[in-house]
Amino acid sequence: MDNQEKNRNKVIDGQALFSANKGQGNGEELWIAQAKQGSQSAFYKLYEKHHRPIYALCWRMLADKDSAEDVCQEVFVVLWQKINNFRGESKFSTWLHSVATNVVLGHLRKHKNWLQRVFSIEEQGASLVEPSTGLTDDSTLTVLDRHIARLPERARLVFVLFAVEGYRHEEIAKMLKMAVGSSKSQYHRARNLLKESLSDIEFSSVEQGMGHE
Amino acid sequence: MNNHTHQGRVLSDKDLAEQVARLPNEMTPERELWSGIERAINHKGQQESDNKPSNFFVPSAWAASVLLVMLVSWFTFSPSIGDMKAPEMAQTQQKEGITQGQLVSFMQTNFQQQKQTLLVSYGQPTLDKLPAAMQKELKQLSDARASIRKALLADENNADLLNLLDFTQQQELKLLQQLYRQYQVI
Repeated sequence: MDNQEKNRNKVIDGQALFSANKGQGNGEELWIAQAKQGSQSAFYKLYEKHHRPIYALCWRMLADKDSAEDVCQEVFVVLWQKINNFRGESKFSTWLHSVATNVVLGHLRKHKNWLQRVFSIEEQGASLVEPSTGLTDDSTLTVLDRHIARLPERARLVFVLFAVEGYRHEEIAKMLKMAVGSSKSQYHRARNLLKESLSDIEFSSVEQGMGHE
Repeated sequence: MNNHTHQGRVLSDKDLAEQVARLPNEMTPERELWSGIERAINHKGQQESDNKPSNFFVPSAWAASVLLVMLVSWFTFSPSIGDMKAPEMAQTQQKEGITQGQLVSFMQTNFQQQKQTLLVSYGQPTLDKLPAAMQKELKQLSDARASIRKALLADENNADLLNLLDFTQQQELKLLQQLYRQYQVI
């Protein structure tokens, strides 16, 4: 290796180091840049870093393990196609979450239960719905996640987007094609349902604890 | 302390907010997801580099052919039935002296032909490679079709059921198209 080549490598290494230590850390900017150039190994690193939070978002919005896994895959396929649209104006994770949210909502629109279309079933009930199979037995879930999963669909989506993901009602209303007021009322509905259902558990566990003393 | 102390109490907003704040940011999927993603991005890349123009026309061509089969079938059955809704169809059915059984049987044959055309266009895919949830949805539609057919044979001149049968058939075709586009594995 001649000196010129050594110097060139030095410069490249320096850029990589700079990118790795700047802002997003862990070489993320470098991986993004490489993925934009078509590097699947760099894209895999992005996947490794981000797939768990994205899966959590999908799971909370869909309340179904199988669908969440399928949609999480779809999110990363869409990410591969759209990564060039990321201009670095926001944090990559923030941008990725908005991509994921759109993919989940698109999935829900496409796969809306046919029975709901036939019979126009709107979840008007005031109580929590039955969880999907295996949900209540999943010990890896927090109590709150299990209760979020039992919320009626619209209330669940609004609650997850507002309380967990931090979107504003105006943004949620746009995403869900509903009025801002509806987003707010669905959020209140979700909050009340959760408070009620969690109260039973909270206080019965407190009482059980006291019984042991 | 007795049990009655807490009865009627509801969790406060603050308690709920605290629980939300404690929610884990991450969850781990049970299934290994990367291999499916890798396959999909390679497949899409291959498609793009191979023949972009012909690929673009495949879905529209098949959608058009399915539509054509549907229209030809309807117009063969009756020159005026093509743009009818189920209630009108039921009236025509009475006027022409066609039994509901014959109509249901015709709809079923027509549907099977459309489905077969669609599946052939997708290279006779293996449906059992689909995710369990998707297979379940296809099964639900198929079961629903069978139940509606059975109900129609027992309930003459029920336009709503006729409409529902048509709807479930169309949903099944739509679902197959969506699944093909989404997974490219069926």
